[in-house]
Amino acid sequence: MTIDELAKGVQEGKRRHLAKAITLVESNREADQQTAQDLISKVRSAKETIRVGISGVPGVGKSTFIEALGNLLIEEGLKVAVLAVDPSSPATGGSILGDKTRMETLSSKDEAFIRPSPTSGTLGGVAKRTRESMMLCEAAGYDVILVETVGVGQSEFEVASMVDCFLVLMLPGAGDSLQGIKRGIMEIIDILVINKADGDQEKMAKNAVTEYQNAFHLLTPKYDGIGVDFLTVSSIKKKRIDEAWEKIQGFISALKEKGIFEAQRKEQELNWFKRLVEDEVLRRLWGSETNKEKAAELVEQIKKGEITPVKAAYDFLSSEISR
Amino acid sequence: MSDNSSGKENWKKGVEKLLKGDKAESLNRQSPEGFEIQALYDSEDVSNRNVDPGYPGEFPFTRGPYSSMYTQRPWTIRQYAGFSTAEESNKFYRQALEKGQKGLSVAFDLATHRGYDSDHPRVVGDVGKAGVAIDSVEDMKILFDGIPLDKMSVSMTMNGAVIPIMAAYIVAAEEQGVSTEKLSGTIQNDILKEFMVRNTYIYPPQESMRLVSDIIEYTSEKMPRFNSISISGYHMQEAGADSALELAFTLADGLEYVKTAVESGLDVDAFAPRLSFFFAIGMNFLMEVSKLRAARTLWAELMKEHFEPKNQKSLMLRTHCQTSGWSLTAQDPLNNVVRTTIEAMAAVLGGTQSLHTNSYDEAISLPTETSSRIARNTQTIIQEETDITHTVDPLGGSYAIESMTHDLKEKAKTIINEVMEMGGMAKAIEEGYPKRKIEESAAIKQAGIDKGDITIVGVNKYVNEKEDPVDILDIDNTGVRDGQVDLIDEIKAKRDKVATKEALLAITEAARSGEGNILDLAVEATRRRATVGEISTALEQAWGRHTATNQTIKGVYESVYKSDKGYQEIKSKIDAFSEEEGRRPRILVVKMGQDGHDRGAKVVATAFADMGFDVDVGPLFSTPEEAAKQAIENDVHVIGVSTLAAGHKTLIPDLVKILKKEEAGDIIIVAGGVIPVQDYDFLYEAGVSAIFGPGTNIPKAASKVIDEIRAKKA
Ligand code: B12
Ligand SMILES: Nc1nc2c(ncn2[C@@H]2O[C@H](COP(=O)(O)OP(=O)(O)OP(=O)(O)O)[C@@H](O)[C@H]2O)c(=O)[nH]1
Ligand SMILES: [Mg+2]
Repeated sequence: MTIDELAKGVQEGKRRHLAKAITLVESNREADQQTAQDLISKVRSAKETIRVGISGVPGVGKSTFIEALGNLLIEEGLKVAVLAVDPSSPATGGSILGDKTRMETLSSKDEAFIRPSPTSGTLGGVAKRTRESMMLCEAAGYDVILVETVGVGQSEFEVASMVDCFLVLMLPGAGDSLQGIKRGIMEIIDILVINKADGDQEKMAKNAVTEYQNAFHLLTPKYDGIGVDFLTVSSIKKKRIDEAWEKIQGFISALKEKGIFEAQRKEQELNWFKRLVEDEVLRRLWGSETNKEKAAELVEQIKKGEITPVKAAYDFLSSEISR
Repeated sequence: MSDNSSGKENWKKGVEKLLKGDKAESLNRQSPEGFEIQALYDSEDVSNRNVDPGYPGEFPFTRGPYSSMYTQRPWTIRQYAGFSTAEESNKFYRQALEKGQKGLSVAFDLATHRGYDSDHPRVVGDVGKAGVAIDSVEDMKILFDGIPLDKMSVSMTMNGAVIPIMAAYIVAAEEQGVSTEKLSGTIQNDILKEFMVRNTYIYPPQESMRLVSDIIEYTSEKMPRFNSISISGYHMQEAGADSALELAFTLADGLEYVKTAVESGLDVDAFAPRLSFFFAIGMNFLMEVSKLRAARTLWAELMKEHFEPKNQKSLMLRTHCQTSGWSLTAQDPLNNVVRTTIEAMAAVLGGTQSLHTNSYDEAISLPTETSSRIARNTQTIIQEETDITHTVDPLGGSYAIESMTHDLKEKAKTIINEVMEMGGMAKAIEEGYPKRKIEESAAIKQAGIDKGDITIVGVNKYVNEKEDPVDILDIDNTGVRDGQVDLIDEIKAKRDKVATKEALLAITEAARSGEGNILDLAVEATRRRATVGEISTALEQAWGRHTATNQTIKGVYESVYKSDKGYQEIKSKIDAFSEEEGRRPRILVVKMGQDGHDRGAKVVATAFADMGFDVDVGPLFSTPEEAAKQAIENDVHVIGVSTLAAGHKTLIPDLVKILKKEEAGDIIIVAGGVIPVQDYDFLYEAGVSAIFGPGTNIPKAASKVIDEIRAKKA
């Protein structure tokens, strides 16, 4: 398949082509990097889209929530793409991906496209591939892009930096989780959803909302005049999923009214540009053969005590760094 | 006795001399259950453990539930069977009864298990394949034609669609002129283990428990000679559990059922005497004998402690056993006769009440007439040619058996306590704890076999170079399906539509409200000719269909294998592929149709991931369309179809067709599982690249899969 054919297929919304295109942007092969960029520059989304990040600790019910929300969106006539990123993949060996089994009805629907991605040993981390995959899905005609990521490591910050709305799922039982909440996370949340509000946990979930509201009260809001929204749902019993969607839509409209929506997407792109430059510089720095050799030499000297680390750094930087 | 200690010292010295310096303790082994198997047990071991096995027929029943055991009457030979149509199965049953079999045990097909009529689009590959297709009371009547249900004890393995099947059985008897109080037999009705390992559930757990309890209530009132539940560990062992896990989870399930029934208002003595159990018997002979003895002892103690029944019979564990199918091989299959004999002896020496012995073609297909005959004769020979039945609990008092009975019981108790701390078995299952434990145990076992630490004759040692072909039973599922569909149409045309509809609505209503006995209502609907599928749907309308949470494990397989050189070579090969390709080889492991055998799929998935594949695990019960869609979206290199319930000749060609249509013909397909050699060429022609049967060495399979992906690319 040529790049033009691939781009055309994506643009026509062909499942097979979209999938292959994502594989291309996910590829670690040097030769694929340029081709991937060619592809990206050939496709473009014609309609307005909504990008939602969905995060939370393992087992909080992200996939189950997406199953419920996705089906609801399809009923409303929308097309849904889900990108599931699992940064907890082990350093060695492959990954085992079972997320789709929790999105059983959604995954069998024609209007849904779900792509779980292993992330072990990828170039550019979670952000690069997901951002580009998201653009491909938009070009293929999906209206809403849901990005599922486990709240582990840096991935949630990266995901938050590429979506319009960042939604975090929490378990009932606020007291405990409030302490467990990771630093900096509270600042990036747009909507906080307490999941598993069913059975004996329903009451607990309600109390949790109050506690969270109090805690968030002390924060300076992320956007002027748009506060964090809270609600309880049961993903498994499909309770109040429609409210969650209303809140997401409400949030997006508020952004649009205040003229933040487009500005934020632009800013995300600028930040992304900076990140890319930095990453690429680093990659070239450590990737070139001559630099690798030079560095290895210096490392040996440092180990033997023949040179100080500072001197070594100067020597390295003043030697010929590739281009 | 007085010089016992010096006796033991002398023995140790003797051993150490033979070992040329190594300690006698070096001969002790660690059992998979997690306790030490001693090279020698003596009277001290028994007295240290405070073991007093007592007498058969007396609390705690270690030596047997009945005082006379087989000296008066041997165990019941009860062979589990069923295939294609009710007519065919009926013919088979009548023959077996003539040849010495004593009770019937019905195996239903997977469509029936999952509550689908034969005309449902999701079951095209399954009808009549792995058991008998029953769509309505008319089928049930044919199944028992000429078999007097007031005399014949009938065991039915049914859990998911337990309501319509029980109803069909009751109404078939009624129309034979037999009333409910005369019916004897057992319904499996053990839904908890379905969520763990057997996978023929339909409704969510809580709602399913309501059905269990409705059946217990109905039978305790109307069917005094019928066992309302068969609490089963068998499937756990077959799915990978070691003896301690099997024992513990089974008894914990039992406690959960008793609790549910008591909470629903029943007196424990009204139903506990009708609880029965079901265990697997594998190749660890001494362990398995001990397991049955430990099971009786521990159940008696637990029941006494938790429920204080007044009737002694409520404390008594009575069990059916089946020899292990997992231990049987597709390679050199006559070896299986020997394996089954050893296992049958363990079951009998452990004091089982009834027994199924497997056929030597177990790992190849459903049994043929010949293989069934030999399986049955294995039991008649033990009963009638040996002296094993002449003495009650002949191994009782053996130092080893008594010590192991005790140790296993203690181990199981620890696990049961953990479960209790989680809030009981229903909660533990919800959290996925028992399933995870069992899958880990299965992965460890598989790695042990692949690596050669565990010997399986004919598979990883003493391999027979030239295998003779084995005759197989091949069922034409399209033919069976057409016949079934005709019968369904006929019934639906003849019945009073309004009356049927009312009866079905009453079921949905009762399911919603929580009022009434659902079995009672289903019996009425069945009289009015509602089908199995319709009654299931009536409940589904209120409760929905349950989908399982698929857990995955990682690193367990590798933990056993790591140090192996061959294993490392495969890993390097996969890494090299990933370098070239820009990503890891990606495989989708799928289960299509109603086939719920997931042990192989799970083990292969986790092992492949450990070796360096990116593995997508598909949900159970996929259609070929769903499998293809997932494969395409995830852009896998290969789809690995794991198929054990004989749907492969229908489902795999369908999958190929759909992939082609979606321009995804470059995704290769490999198949694994129980696929008779006779079908290989058919599958290759259909487009399958490689086939991996039972006994497959997983690293070798992984290597072959890489080769196939490469070949396709070239
Ligand atoms: C274990 C077992 C069960 C367990 C399953 C537990 C579980 N969760 O998996 C229990 C007890 C629950 C069970 C139940 C039933 N079973 Co059963 N079961 C077996 C048994 C004994 C072993 C299968 C097994 O797990 N082996 C161990 C695993 C590791 O091996 P494996 O799956 O073959 O996988 C290996 C290879 O095949 C290969 N492989 C497999 N898949 C893949 C995929 C890829 C990608 C690759 C590379 C390789 C690969 O590699 C693996 C490693 O070596 C077989 C007989 C046998 N000996 O094979 C019968 C068997 C499969 N069962 C059978 C039947 C009929 C049933 C029932 C339908 C009976 C009934 N009517 O009620 C039920 C219903 C189950 C259901 N829901 O579908 C029949 C099927 C008949 C047929 N094909 O015509 C068999 C063949 C027995 C028989 N001869 O009658 N069963
Ligand atoms: N009671 C209840 N259980 C839920 C609910 N949502 C999810 N669960 C259960 O929680 C478990 C985890 O759900 P997932 O959707 O897989 O959670 P996840 O956050 O995607 O998990 P990872 O992808 O592993 O991080 C499953 O057993 C679900 O059935 C809910 O609303 N109520
Ligand atoms: Mg998930």
